[in-house]
Amino acid sequence: MIEETTYTRKFRKELMAGLSSLVLLAVLARAGREMYGYEIAKAVKAEGEGGLIFKQGAIYPVLRSLDTLGLLESRVEASAFGPPRRYYSITDEGRRALSEWQGAWRDMREFVDDALAAHLAGSAAVVENRA
Amino acid sequence: MKADPAPDMVRAYLDALRSALKGSSPGLISDALADAEEHLQGEIASNPDKTEAAVLASVIETYGTPQEIAEEYKSMEAAIAGPFPKPEPKPERQAGFFGVISDARAYGALMYMLLSLATGIFYFVWAMIGISLTVPFFLFIFGIPFALLFVGSVRILSHVEGRIVEGLLGVRMPRRLPAQASASETVWARIRDSLTDIRTWSSLLYLLLMLPLGIVYFTLAVVGISLTFACVGGSLLGLVSGHSYIEFSDVAWLDHLFHTAPGLLLLMLAGGLLVFLVLHMARGIGWLHGHLAELLLVRL
Repeated sequence: MIEETTYTRKFRKELMAGLSSLVLLAVLARAGREMYGYEIAKAVKAEGEGGLIFKQGAIYPVLRSLDTLGLLESRVEASAFGPPRRYYSITDEGRRALSEWQGAWRDMREFVDDALAAHLAGSAAVVENRA
Repeated sequence: MKADPAPDMVRAYLDALRSALKGSSPGLISDALADAEEHLQGEIASNPDKTEAAVLASVIETYGTPQEIAEEYKSMEAAIAGPFPKPEPKPERQAGFFGVISDARAYGALMYMLLSLATGIFYFVWAMIGISLTVPFFLFIFGIPFALLFVGSVRILSHVEGRIVEGLLGVRMPRRLPAQASASETVWARIRDSLTDIRTWSSLLYLLLMLPLGIVYFTLAVVGISLTFACVGGSLLGLVSGHSYIEFSDVAWLDHLFHTAPGLLLLMLAGGLLVFLVLHMARGIGWLHGHLAELLLVRL
């Protein structure tokens, strides 16, 4: 990845602050079973381009906050080796939140895309004028 | 991008994370450390062909540096308090002396005080048996596994006590058992770790301390509750039946007072006041004990 400016990193971080909750709910809803943190981290990485812009370590506090909010529920199970694992699964309230958030995300994406398209059209017009 | 050189061992990483989180609540620190350890051990386990150091070097790229992770946890704790509705609203500072009657924490603390005698005796006996068997057993070969077993039981007991304290006294304690040494560590390394871990000793101290504390708490709670019931019930019975059963044979004027209707009414009033006093005492002791438990049971 190209080294980014501090502004860009901050911008990414702010974008991800809300979206990470949406992504994690989606991952757990699609899995339809309990998953533990490391497994979820790997699943999020497998999502594709989102993987690298999102540090895996940032998933865990988000999982805990979703758990606190009641959108996920969790239980701890000892693992055969290493420390015990916390398994998360999505609650009914979490599924409701997910479908609402998906709507919010679609609106937001259209709004941003429209704004960017207008901007692109504007700069294209400037280029034509200069030519 | 990284301010500090990358730590090359799990322990060093966790230490760096702990110092980056300094100043946060102990429960948050312990959650963050548990998450990081779970992830790092998971990464090491799924890359058995690489060395621990090599895995960690690549993990820091994907998981994040201790500083970044500490930032995430801190901002998450702040965010939960902010835009999202708080699932457990902080009990508002109860206005005035009588507000304590509707404070769930005061009743929880009173419950804890009654419970503490039983748990205190159990912890004390467990710790004493463990200590007095572990020391002579070190003469034999099975002293080592026995010592490990004992230290493990102390950790589990501390964890259980932590859950009780969080449930009844409302002090946030770790949500999970403390991290265990990885299976690959030698027995000697594990013993060394648990002997040098200050929390093993502070937990043991807590378990022993719970006996005298439990006796004091239980006595205070029982005396408080029974005195309240005696004052209210005794005076009520006296007023209804017209015959006072309250005897103060040593103090003549009190004895006389409690054989008159105004005296009995006064006693009932005192009993009513005692309810609030007992609840205040319970809440105060609960607060003190919660912080003692946090100090001794949570790794700082």
